[in-house]
Amino acid sequence: MGLPISYHWRNLLVRKTTTLLTLLVVAVVVGVFTWMMGFASSLTRSLAVASDETKLLILKRGATAESNSAIPIEDFNRLNQLSAIVRDEDNIPLLSPEMMAQVSLPRARDGGATFANVAVRGVTAAAFKVHRNVKLLGKGFTTGRREVIVGQAAAKQFAGLNVGDTIGLGYGSDRGYKVVGHFSAGGGPMESEIWGYLPSLMNAYNRKTYSCASLRLSDDADSAAAIERIRGPAIQLEAKTERQYWQAQSAGIRRYLTVAYALVAIMSVAAIFSIANTMFSTVAGRTREVAMLRTIGYSQWRILTGFVFESILLTTVGGIVGCLACVAWLSLVGNTKDMFGATNFTTLAFEIRVTPAIVLWSLLSVVAVGVIGSLIPALRAARTPVVSALRAP
Amino acid sequence: MLRLVYLYRNLTRNNMRTALTCAAVALPIVIYVLSTAVIDGLDRFLDNAAKQLRLVVSHRASIINPLPSGYRSKIESLDPERTRLRSVCGMGWIGGRIENDSRLLSTLAVQADTFPATFPEFKLTPEELAAWHRDRQAIIVGRATASQFGWKVGDRISIIPSLPPYTPMEFHVISTAPHAADPVTNFCRLDYFDEVRKEADVPTDIVSFFFVKCADKEALDHFGGAIDELFAHSPDQTRTQDEKAFMTEFITQQFDLPTNLTILAAVTIFVAVMAAANTMSMNFRDRINELAVLRSIGFSGLALAGLILCESLLLCGLGGLIGAGIPFVAFNFTSLKELTVPVIQAIIVEPNVCVEAFLVALAVGVVAAVWPAIAATRLTVVAALRNLE
Repeated sequence: MGLPISYHWRNLLVRKTTTLLTLLVVAVVVGVFTWMMGFASSLTRSLAVASDETKLLILKRGATAESNSAIPIEDFNRLNQLSAIVRDEDNIPLLSPEMMAQVSLPRARDGGATFANVAVRGVTAAAFKVHRNVKLLGKGFTTGRREVIVGQAAAKQFAGLNVGDTIGLGYGSDRGYKVVGHFSAGGGPMESEIWGYLPSLMNAYNRKTYSCASLRLSDDADSAAAIERIRGPAIQLEAKTERQYWQAQSAGIRRYLTVAYALVAIMSVAAIFSIANTMFSTVAGRTREVAMLRTIGYSQWRILTGFVFESILLTTVGGIVGCLACVAWLSLVGNTKDMFGATNFTTLAFEIRVTPAIVLWSLLSVVAVGVIGSLIPALRAARTPVVSALRAP
Repeated sequence: MLRLVYLYRNLTRNNMRTALTCAAVALPIVIYVLSTAVIDGLDRFLDNAAKQLRLVVSHRASIINPLPSGYRSKIESLDPERTRLRSVCGMGWIGGRIENDSRLLSTLAVQADTFPATFPEFKLTPEELAAWHRDRQAIIVGRATASQFGWKVGDRISIIPSLPPYTPMEFHVISTAPHAADPVTNFCRLDYFDEVRKEADVPTDIVSFFFVKCADKEALDHFGGAIDELFAHSPDQTRTQDEKAFMTEFITQQFDLPTNLTILAAVTIFVAVMAAANTMSMNFRDRINELAVLRSIGFSGLALAGLILCESLLLCGLGGLIGAGIPFVAFNFTSLKELTVPVIQAIIVEPNVCVEAFLVALAVGVVAAVWPAIAATRLTVVAALRNLE
């Protein structure tokens, strides 16, 4: 039979100061860890949406982003010869010419003190067929008027993008475009964009070329072969799957995250030491008690697992406190973040969310920390020499 | 003397506890040193930007909109004598990468004639200056980029610009800019890039922004407004900021590193305080009857508090010494610096950061000792001795 839970629980309560301090160490480390996991997973989730393998992004050769690519219209037309493109019911290939520009807009979260570069994408009707996950939430833009629709992440994070607002777009930011509706894109990066009618925006931005294009391959098409074909002599453009493109754009931010993870790992080691310290002291203070438990029949294994369990109890409570603190922090300080693409200089807006999976991961790692920190002290407890310990004053 | 021996004996009587606490203080101090070093590096960069008394003129609508390179003469005409407005240098972002390599470069094409005067902090040698003015294909590469790609002065390199016409451009490395504030960015000549653009029939004579070197602070403030006014009624309106504000905007857009690292450093110090306080309270608890004996043989409560404080300072000081020492040695005296990881290369661990971190560790020691020290002064001998089982 194992030691009852109440035994460990009461033991933790006896040494209130030590328990509280250890708990705080764990809570802080877990809080930071949870925040970072939330950040990383929100970013990953947003990019995971943009990983449709049957969708290709077409750039000019040598361009590194949609925003610094320029595709002359005759180059674009060569894409029509690609046989792997899906055609719609009217036998029109799902090929979307696009133009990328950007507009500097105030962030809503700091009351407009700082500005972010928000992507403006000129599209035609084809875009809504190629970018399958884009769903209108309300009205779409009409082609005859200066109207745009706004991704819901952009609408939330940047000021002046409510339906009915007018924003200044165009090369001199002097052409008023009316926001007529919002759209969702399954949580992907396009939710941070503003979309309008391609010819109208090209005119507003003095562009004579498209920026980029996207197209949809049939489900059974070999994307690698299609990419090769597009690069080949007949078309001479650069194609990337959506996943490749966004992996490159988020390379910088993921490097920061790696560094941040390393720092949190160092903090976790500090937490392990702190727990070990506490557990050593607990074990040392209860030598006689342990000897007593051994005499009344508890095995070494039970003693060992008992102390490890006590540590897990302690760290788990700390972990829960840490997760709650993180959630509280996010709801108090705000959970909106945006990041800069590596070469497109446009903003990808997303929200940090603490999901059950993240909480589970945090708690699992906290249990691991508890086990590692308590193993050696628990071993020492299990090996308590019974007779001499009982004889000790 | 006796007290010192007592302190030493106290620290060594539970070696495991002392070692674990030292480590639990040292590790957060390591994080503190590293994050402070990164923040200081950025601050140094921004302070240099402010010291240079430069304005950055960019397109009002968006930083990716180009400005006509002819704006330079209009800006220059604001002060024809060039007494308050020293020089104007237009530059265009090229980005770039090299063949068969996914790593992205940061390259700017600059107006060659005014570049040395606008960026005097590069301290180009007379030979470098001569090469820069003579050779249209000259390029000054960032020192970190140079070591990352193995470029040396005299090398011929080929860079594919990230802008039309996207055709490879040949360059001659003339300097690795040992004094430049930004160790990453490469600078080549705009007239060469315009030549390449002209051949490919791509629009030329456009730049991303202008850097305007001013004579003094007063001129900086004056021209900041005057330039925007000058272009207020032209198709390309401008937004003029001082260089520090311009760079800060860039840095915060990336990941807001300074803020995030400051929070991280604060949190880690909190971890160190909790860990040290835990040890001190355990020590106090374990030795409560000992302290009672000391009280009863005549030591005052304050003396006991002093002993506890000294022990805590010694413990955390030791941890701080280790924690500040490891990064200092690692970044200044080992081959870690030669790793071609940009993040590591950008970190400079200066002695003053380490001293500061050590002081922080001592502060941690003081905070950790507060509660046990107060408890020691309030100790009632009889009650404590009665606790003796």
